[in-house]
Amino acid sequence: MPGEDWEDFGFEGIGTQWEISTPFPLAQSVRARLLNRVEEFDAAWSRFRADSRVSIMAREPGRFGFPDEAGRLGPLYRTLYGLTDGAMTPLIGASLERLGYDAGYSLKPSGSPLPAPPWDEVLKWDGTIITTTLPVVLDIGAAGKGLLVDLLADELEAEGIDSFVIDGSGDLLARGPQSTQVALEHPYNPGQAIGIVPLAGRALCASASNRRAWGDGWHHVLDGTTGQPVRTAVATWALADTAMLADALATALFFVPGARLEQAFDFSWLTVFSDGSAAHSAEFEGTLFT
Amino acid sequence: MRPSVRKSVFAGIAGLSLAGTVAGCAPSATESTPAAPAGSAAATSAATPSAGSSSLAGSGATYKDGTYSADGNYVSPNGTETVGVQLTLAGGTVTAVDITQHPSNPNTRKFQGEFAGGIASQIVGKNIDELNVSKVAGSSLTSGGFNQAVEQIKSEAQ
Repeated sequence: MPGEDWEDFGFEGIGTQWEISTPFPLAQSVRARLLNRVEEFDAAWSRFRADSRVSIMAREPGRFGFPDEAGRLGPLYRTLYGLTDGAMTPLIGASLERLGYDAGYSLKPSGSPLPAPPWDEVLKWDGTIITTTLPVVLDIGAAGKGLLVDLLADELEAEGIDSFVIDGSGDLLARGPQSTQVALEHPYNPGQAIGIVPLAGRALCASASNRRAWGDGWHHVLDGTTGQPVRTAVATWALADTAMLADALATALFFVPGARLEQAFDFSWLTVFSDGSAAHSAEFEGTLFT
Repeated sequence: MRPSVRKSVFAGIAGLSLAGTVAGCAPSATESTPAAPAGSAAATSAATPSAGSSSLAGSGATYKDGTYSADGNYVSPNGTETVGVQLTLAGGTVTAVDITQHPSNPNTRKFQGEFAGGIASQIVGKNIDELNVSKVAGSSLTSGGFNQAVEQIKSEAQ
């Protein structure tokens, strides 16, 4: 898509639409390799399949081995858990399920929001090994899609492909010399954009609180310390070197001001609030329509 | 270059502004509720609607005037979700589109009102189809569900 005659490979994975654009068509063997990687990821991390590692953890405590990517994910979640005073946690799942965001997708709240259990009481995340003291519902939704974008990039690079754009339904990663013009989707009107950002050699991810909303004002972004939804920011974007980081930080912007996150991470950010105002770091200067 | 999914949605309803208005209706089984054709001035079709039936631009098929609603499903990373679509047809033209996220969410509506009111002096939206961009970064997941609902309405309105 960035070049006039680039080729797109589209497929469905982890419940969403993907598109990988390259200067040349991807060989059948490469496509198969990518799809296989998506399946492996889903088999480990999906809350929505009974045979996943995560689903087994939800039934009984114990010591669980996860794929290699767990080694990237754990430290990032741990850092953000600290920076957000526990608001951003992979243990939010129990609260989400109680609010109706369950595997059966009942959308019917079955009780008051449950605060997430303190990390250190129930979870030890050591590299690729996760040990739990209680059945826990692990939800890596805040960084999972970005992580899979990075993992697919690894597969492409292992095949010697170094120019591409991966689009996981709006979470983007570009590698190679080309620059791609990316519209920032209007939080309340998917037919409109609020700005344009050039993307080259990095990842751009977004998070919004108005999608996937249900019930009496519950939004899908929950504060782990109270179990209550977060309401101030309505849409966020983060530019970073990896999609996992950009994805996680786009969510973290709902809990922590961008300026504070900037002290801990090398990234650029944009936050749009419910009154239509915006705050952003220097790189987003001049990208918004006013 | 193949247009993105998102683009094709808007191409499919060219001329409409797809305001993400959240109508307050509760989730309902996919039912069509033809209403009396409102004398909406928004209908721009030159054709005079006769007997409440005329052709929807570009399709060649004929559709009865009225307000139609249908639900479509789409799959998000967290499972299957439903989006409600309500179209008003008058004189063969779509005169109104409402998107409903199910179940209806009073808080979302409030934000939308606030956003629409506050955006003018600050951030301004521009139609993506009119911009020279290759990609869209955002978190909307509704395109598939929207298309599905429109197809259902088209079949019911004939």
